[in-house]
Amino acid sequence: MNQLNALAGGLFILTVFGIVGLRQVIGCLRLFVMQSVLLAVSALILGIETGSIHLFAVAGLTIGTKALLIPWLLYRLLSHEIHARREIRQVLSIPTSLLIAAGLTIFAYFTVRPLLDINSSAFIRVNLPIGMGGIVVGAFAITMRREALPQLLGILTMENGAFMAGISIAPNLPLIAELAAAFDVLIIALVTGLLTRRIHRRVGTTRVGDMASLKEE
Amino acid sequence: MELSMVLLIPAVAATLAGIFGNRAHAAAAATLIGTLAVFLLSVHITFGPALGIHGSIRGLAGWLSCDYLSALVLLLVSFVGFTATLFSLGYIGRAVKAKGLARTARYWVRYNLFLLSMLAVPLISQVAMVWIAVELTTLLSVFLVGFEDNPEALEAAWKYVVLTCMGAAFALIGVLILYWGLRTSGAGEFTWAGLTLAGLRIQPAFLKTAFFFILIGFGTKAGLVPLHTWLPDAHSQAPSPVCALLSGVETTTALYVILRLLPVLTWIPGHPAGTWSVSFGLISAGAAAFLLLQVKDYKRLFAFSTIEHMGIILVAAGLGGGAAHLGATYQIMAHAVTKSFCFFAAGATLLITGTRKIDTVRGLIRTSPVAGISLMLGGLAIAGASPFAVFISEFSIIKAGLAAGHYVIIGLLTLFIAIAFCGIMYQINKMVFGRPPAARAAYRLPATCAAALAVAVIPVVLLGVFIPAPLHHVLKLAAFALGR
Amino acid sequence: MGAKILFNIVQVLVVMLCSPLVKGVLDRFKERVQSKKGPSIFQPYRDIWKLFHKDEVVSDESSWIFRFTPYVVFVAPIFVTLLIPVLTDYPLFFAFMGDMLAGGSILALAGFFATLAAIDTGNPYGPMGASRTRMVGFLAEPVFMIVFFTVSFVAGSTIPYIVQQAWITPLANFFEPSHVLVMLAFLMLIIAENGRIPVDNPSGHFELAMIDESKALEYSGRGAALMKWGGCMKFFVLLCIFLNVLVTPWGLADGPSIGGLLLAIPLILLKMLVFLVVLVAIESSLAKLRLFRIPEFMGAAFVTSVVAVVVQLIEM
Repeated sequence: MNQLNALAGGLFILTVFGIVGLRQVIGCLRLFVMQSVLLAVSALILGIETGSIHLFAVAGLTIGTKALLIPWLLYRLLSHEIHARREIRQVLSIPTSLLIAAGLTIFAYFTVRPLLDINSSAFIRVNLPIGMGGIVVGAFAITMRREALPQLLGILTMENGAFMAGISIAPNLPLIAELAAAFDVLIIALVTGLLTRRIHRRVGTTRVGDMASLKEE
Repeated sequence: MELSMVLLIPAVAATLAGIFGNRAHAAAAATLIGTLAVFLLSVHITFGPALGIHGSIRGLAGWLSCDYLSALVLLLVSFVGFTATLFSLGYIGRAVKAKGLARTARYWVRYNLFLLSMLAVPLISQVAMVWIAVELTTLLSVFLVGFEDNPEALEAAWKYVVLTCMGAAFALIGVLILYWGLRTSGAGEFTWAGLTLAGLRIQPAFLKTAFFFILIGFGTKAGLVPLHTWLPDAHSQAPSPVCALLSGVETTTALYVILRLLPVLTWIPGHPAGTWSVSFGLISAGAAAFLLLQVKDYKRLFAFSTIEHMGIILVAAGLGGGAAHLGATYQIMAHAVTKSFCFFAAGATLLITGTRKIDTVRGLIRTSPVAGISLMLGGLAIAGASPFAVFISEFSIIKAGLAAGHYVIIGLLTLFIAIAFCGIMYQINKMVFGRPPAARAAYRLPATCAAALAVAVIPVVLLGVFIPAPLHHVLKLAAFALGR
Repeated sequence: MGAKILFNIVQVLVVMLCSPLVKGVLDRFKERVQSKKGPSIFQPYRDIWKLFHKDEVVSDESSWIFRFTPYVVFVAPIFVTLLIPVLTDYPLFFAFMGDMLAGGSILALAGFFATLAAIDTGNPYGPMGASRTRMVGFLAEPVFMIVFFTVSFVAGSTIPYIVQQAWITPLANFFEPSHVLVMLAFLMLIIAENGRIPVDNPSGHFELAMIDESKALEYSGRGAALMKWGGCMKFFVLLCIFLNVLVTPWGLADGPSIGGLLLAIPLILLKMLVFLVVLVAIESSLAKLRLFRIPEFMGAAFVTSVVAVVVQLIEM
């Protein structure tokens, strides 16, 4: 059980790397779906192990919003704009950014090590570093990618990473907070999706990384 | 009961504005009445008896609570909300005239929702829900920032959303670690009060890590360097009344969350919270002061000044001690009223001259005395000239710092304030005086804009010379909430 | 003792004799999936036989390397066979002569000579392909190293037999994240090292696009036969390492009986058959990567193996 959870965690962090380095924009969306499913699997395993119905609800909520609703929403809003789009010029070459992402994951692990020394069950030892790695590499993905949808997916990846850590360290956060947070993620996706569509209509492209006209000179 | 009313009124106003659809005037009227009611209600809450007796009010079965610091922020949010509504009545009509009344009604809906989220932040007691409220202040204002619908506004809106949500995700892990630390050390409510009580028990490692993440996370939203890059763009491209709200109070609500954590960390030896706050604050104030010198757009000028003031507040709160904390709360109040006034003046200037660039605006005082005088007053006030409120607050912070012996910090702070003063006054002087460009048709400011300027200037001028005793009382008690 | 030496020899013979069969089955599968009829599965045997009976033409400008390389390429996989578990899961006579790193180095030696020979004749396509092969090779080296590192970290040794024991024993170990991720990374490595799609097109005839095939372009007669046979054996050997050590370490003979050994032969061929189905599925559904994207592919493999190490460290 513990190892299945670790397997889900390992594959989770792989999908985060994929969001940093995958060229095809639709591919990033599929990776995000896989990532949310892995998060739900981890929540399910934790729920079975600790016997808490709460985590089952979280798993169901994750699948419902992040694996189904948000991708459907984004696809509906943006399929016209992102169809077959690929990022051709990156900020850094893909192997370099993958290497930096791997380094950042290790850095994230060392950030949370003092916390793990104090109090840790087997699940916290796996979920917390992986969640923190997801957050840090997600932030890196936002700075690296130039297209709008991968940047949005970077934000959602960070939220997924925070949840991944959260299901192990804060398993009995009031359900209202979990519901509200899920709702909040949905609104992020909705708002950003609508904004992307409007940008595409106005500016003609979704390469938001190139929009840098507001500067001092 | 009153707390729930505070939140309910903007929600009702938003719904009404949505229902009224094309009748923008009805929507505007609903908003005006709503914000006035909220303001009066918050005055009642802040100065009323309930807070005085118990020290804190609770509402909605414990989900809402309000102590003196919350009351201060609430008061400021509602005041700026009211004056910004007043200013919007005239501004939106002129600025959006070509786009039709339906858009104007949508503006009011979003405006009310945005105000609702900002009012919720100081009132909610559960820390996890506070995070959600701060996220909502971003999400509900994105389309307000991009309201003008040109590529620059959309670029500003995009950077705003992405960078702020990135910060919010960092803050989320901070909140979760805080919860974990609380649970590990025993039972306790996950509210601000509960955390302060449990501060002694929680292991320092948890508190330090959580504080660090919340500082960089919500610091992004408050405009702390180096994650401030969205702020000049968003705060200059949004319509001016929205800028007033964003700069004046939204950054304050983000900073409020950070300030709430300071008393929880006071027991850790070595005062890491204080050190980090002071360092980040100094870096922000310094970077903003230097960046201020090279702006070409007067709304960006005021936006950088916001960053600087947020830095000053954080330094004051981090220095510790009752006097510095009192200076911090004073600065919060002074900044909110002054910065909103500055943006109203900037908005008036934009209406009159039609351009955002400093170089093309000259002789404003001849073109429109009202705008010229407001801009002058605003510039002087925000730069920290006497006899305005910001001068008093900055002076008391400097005094408190020198008394406690932090010479280097205060020296640097004074230097940054002086640089910013010179930068702001140089640009404002260029704009206000001089020969106006080729004769322009005389442009009358809409009456409501002038009225808003008049209402907003009262506290700016008044609080520099005289503070009513109840207000001073509130400020002092709010300072206690910042820790030892 | 005598039995162990005998088994070693049987192992080598199996590798030598069955590797062209594996190649033939793979080619036929690919053609069948594309709705063509495909060559017979014994075609590689006929090709090697035919090549052995043809004259050899060698360029005047080439040096001893050109003549020497086919033998190196043929013999290297045989040496590696002595070191890895092909039919038995207990160490045989030569097993402790070298570990997986040694095996990797021997295969790299063969590759090195092949590269030099490609440059040796002066044919313009040879060096082009050789430099590309080296590019893929050097990008694959870090992945190899990290895979071996992870594997030895978990099992405590780099001798393949010992590693195999560590994976077999509790079945739950199969699902360990480091195991699954190492499998993924090694699969990507096999694709890269053997020149399958998406790294290279093994059935292409266009010299400008060749990566792996170009090293055998200049050979004829016996040299070509040995290069071809050596290539088949290298594929077989890598598959053995992958299947017998990492993926399915079951079905190998565990006692000194000759019957058990002979039973292991069809089992290993069966395992390879299943893997070939997976490989054909991968090859038929992907397109060949453009050359500048191969580092990205290898970067992904590298990152996968790094994550395997990291997760293993985390779990400690």
